[in-house]
Amino acid sequence: MDLDNDVPMEDVEEQETHTSPTSISSSIKPSNSSKTITSQQQDSATTSAKSSSQLDSSSIGLLDSWIEKLSKCEPLNESDVKKLCDMAIEVLQFEENVQPVQVPVTICGDVHGQFHDLMELFKIGGPCPDTNYLFMGDYVDRGYYSVETVSYLVCMKVRFPNRITILRGNHESRQITQVYGFYDECLRKYGSATVWKLFTDLFDYFPITALVDNKIFCLHGGLSPMIETIDQVRELNRIQEVPHEGPMCDLLWSDPDDRGGWGISPRGAGFTFGQDISEQFNHTNDLSLIARAHQLVMEGFSWSHQESVVTIFSAPNYCYRCGNQAAIMEVDEQHNRQFLQYDPSVRPGEPTVTRKTPDYFL
Amino acid sequence: MNNFNDDLYPLALLMDELKHDDVSNRVEAMQKLDTIAIALGPDRTRKELLPFLNDVAQDDEEEVFAVLGEKLGDFISLIGGHEYCEPLISILTILASMEEPLVRDKAIESLNKISFELNEQEINDIFLQLIQNLSQGNWFSKKIASCGLYKSVITRVDLNTRQNLLKLYLKLIVDDYPMVRRAAATNLPKIINLLTEFTESKPNDVNKITNEDWEIISKMFQHLINDDQDSVKFLSVDVLISILDFFQKINEQSFNSDFLTSALKLIKDESWRVKYTAADRFDKISINFINNESDLYQLIDPFISLMKDHEGEVRKAIAKQLPGFCKQLTKFPSTKATILTKIIPIVNDLNQDSQESVRASLASVITELSPILEKQSTIDKLLPIFLIMLKDENSEVRLNIISNLSIVNETIGINLLSTNLLPAITELAQDNKWRVRLAIIEYIPKLANQLGESFFNEELLNLCMSWLWDPVFAIRQAAVVNLKELTIIFGSNWAQKEIINRLLNNENDSEEKVDYSNFIIRITCLFTIKELIPVIDYNILIEKILPFINSLIQDPVPNIRFNLAKTYYILVSSLIEISKNSNINQQELKNLIDSEIMNNLKLLQNDSDIDVQYYSNQSIEDINNLL
Repeated sequence: MDLDNDVPMEDVEEQETHTSPTSISSSIKPSNSSKTITSQQQDSATTSAKSSSQLDSSSIGLLDSWIEKLSKCEPLNESDVKKLCDMAIEVLQFEENVQPVQVPVTICGDVHGQFHDLMELFKIGGPCPDTNYLFMGDYVDRGYYSVETVSYLVCMKVRFPNRITILRGNHESRQITQVYGFYDECLRKYGSATVWKLFTDLFDYFPITALVDNKIFCLHGGLSPMIETIDQVRELNRIQEVPHEGPMCDLLWSDPDDRGGWGISPRGAGFTFGQDISEQFNHTNDLSLIARAHQLVMEGFSWSHQESVVTIFSAPNYCYRCGNQAAIMEVDEQHNRQFLQYDPSVRPGEPTVTRKTPDYFL
Repeated sequence: MNNFNDDLYPLALLMDELKHDDVSNRVEAMQKLDTIAIALGPDRTRKELLPFLNDVAQDDEEEVFAVLGEKLGDFISLIGGHEYCEPLISILTILASMEEPLVRDKAIESLNKISFELNEQEINDIFLQLIQNLSQGNWFSKKIASCGLYKSVITRVDLNTRQNLLKLYLKLIVDDYPMVRRAAATNLPKIINLLTEFTESKPNDVNKITNEDWEIISKMFQHLINDDQDSVKFLSVDVLISILDFFQKINEQSFNSDFLTSALKLIKDESWRVKYTAADRFDKISINFINNESDLYQLIDPFISLMKDHEGEVRKAIAKQLPGFCKQLTKFPSTKATILTKIIPIVNDLNQDSQESVRASLASVITELSPILEKQSTIDKLLPIFLIMLKDENSEVRLNIISNLSIVNETIGINLLSTNLLPAITELAQDNKWRVRLAIIEYIPKLANQLGESFFNEELLNLCMSWLWDPVFAIRQAAVVNLKELTIIFGSNWAQKEIINRLLNNENDSEEKVDYSNFIIRITCLFTIKELIPVIDYNILIEKILPFINSLIQDPVPNIRFNLAKTYYILVSSLIEISKNSNINQQELKNLIDSEIMNNLKLLQNDSDIDVQYYSNQSIEDINNLL
């Protein structure tokens, strides 16, 4: 049932060098070299706290109108996406590789363009900003509404930077989105790859991990053999396309496994890590839990490594056919955890696809 | 914009755009056709644009044709009036003869639109010619196009022409191609309805409908009902309904026995499509036979056989017809008796149908049977069915029953209903599907209205309060709204005693205190208070609500603090609203707002969190506007 067994990176590489049109290949390289970003960051670090956190009232009005439009599942037009991404870079570039997050917070996993199910998620967990959210990546690809989904979440992030945290998943990358739908969807909905380029450039700025009240370490994939302490994550230069290997790649690609120690990942990127690794990491960093997403789990959440790792998956009936439940995890002020499971949203007027296998398949 | 002064510019631009390689560009250019015609003016539109479009209509893609066909429907005024309609009609004729249904339908629709603008002379000269040519066309698509055009002329020509048209139409009904017969059968009910309308509005017209007309139509119907293709035959159900409607309107019942035979033939047809269509429109057919006891009686067994049909879709369709048909059966004592003796037993089978969609369909209408069955039979026969369906494994079935219960109230009274249903409601209140819980909550105010305060407090209040702590936000939200609705019903004092005191832990003897240590519980309390404020009395707002809100100002969670800021505004606007219509001391109120509320908002304005700052600024601004 593991549909998220994404193509090994080799395939993607191949696709990039041999088959993809030149226009795409050229745009794959991050538009800003990492050097300039770092210096920028230092230059503006002193003024960042004030200048980036205050929105003027016209921006708020604009954002509120976009959020209203998007909540009806209507995509923004291209020039608005451009404005939005510019505003989002202003916010995201000052976030940390390990973004600190306060409790209470509701932690969510993969969404994958299932916009109506994202709206269902807010019905279950409560609307943002009244509820604080932490999303652990994979907003695009697979589902039919990647554009609307990622636009909506980014709008919320810019409008309420303290109320919602959006991490980067392995699908928030130029290479993966060309294979799994986001690129095609942008082309279909906008007639050109401009919007795809704007968003994939923005993805480089997404934080890669978050730390909830110094106790719960949240990230999309899992651990890396090159990372022993959270401080080592802080030292990474994250503002780039997701690399094919190395610590940043692992954090977005790895999976926990029943076998101990480090293992080769069947995904072709990242590693598998065993209970000994998780327990050691939690002990070293004084953590109570690692929360991650990245893998389809039928109940929407799944414990592993004797409750030192939890997988959360928030796309119900993944790919509109897997029949899985989705879940989110509420963490309250006392660090109590509550999982809320939910089914796909009900949309009146649309034929409901039965989850049962038709007789003729049996 | 200077370019527009150049006379040729608009047309040249359009021609350019219409040569674009990309179809979507050409479609977009076509969308602007009316603008271009306006720019050109009527004269040049006729002389230059129409000839050009005539060429385009023969050489482009279907997407472009579809837009062209649609746009031309509004062109009469742009070419300077109906007297110039001929070239327009000839372009549309080309489009209407195409094989692509999308293009054809748009073109036919536009032709019909244009026909309204033509005078009698033009109808007879141009339009009739068009219909005749198309009807006798050498290719099926032309004949299909013609089927859609008869309706715009059929009541605008004299008696002879009309009969000739009907004869021509009869040929389409018996055409060799099933596609043509299908189009003819689909359009026939509209034509008959127009004749009915005509007869009703002008009963004594010189051109009124004669027996000869009906003979032709009856021939058409006989052909359709005996067509060897199911996809044509099932269309005769609608034709029959239209014919029956006509004779019903002119109060002519001598043919009823023939029609009944036809109706029964369709209902008992072997093809499921025909049966399905007959089942789907059952009460529209049966309504025509309610004046004759034996006719009506003859329909009961066929109805039951449809309910027992082996095809799920048929059972689903006929289930929807239960209330309509049963209502008709009440007309005679003999037929009315069969509801209980014959139909209800089969309903008892249907509510356990193996297909969920059949049960859901039944559940959505079955409550409407209660006024028909009246009180005692509803209690004896229907309530047990409701109870079974309320426990159905499919949530849609449960939901459909709950959301339609109010009609049962009216028949048997809320007391009986609630004593029978309360256990089921309590059970559903804990249903694991949140949408089922939601449906129950939305039903509560209706129940409360009729149960009365003391009964409600005893039986349902605890349930209502417990929904506030539901894990799903949407349920908590509905619970909050529900408490407001209940306050509107039972009053402010009730709310203070039963809700506010409990939420604020003001009850000394209460065994269960609300545990404020959890953020969700605190914010839900705040949301409840915020929702209740507009329906609560002044002194409760001052004595209970305000101190509670103030107590949250130091809350560690910013989400609470900015909702607090929002709530202050709601409170102030309610206080001011009430004070306007009563003898409350305005100055005292103003002092209170200035000293206590504004002060607290100013504290929040300097909060460390930007959202708290934003919403308190917002509230201060809004309150200042009120003052």
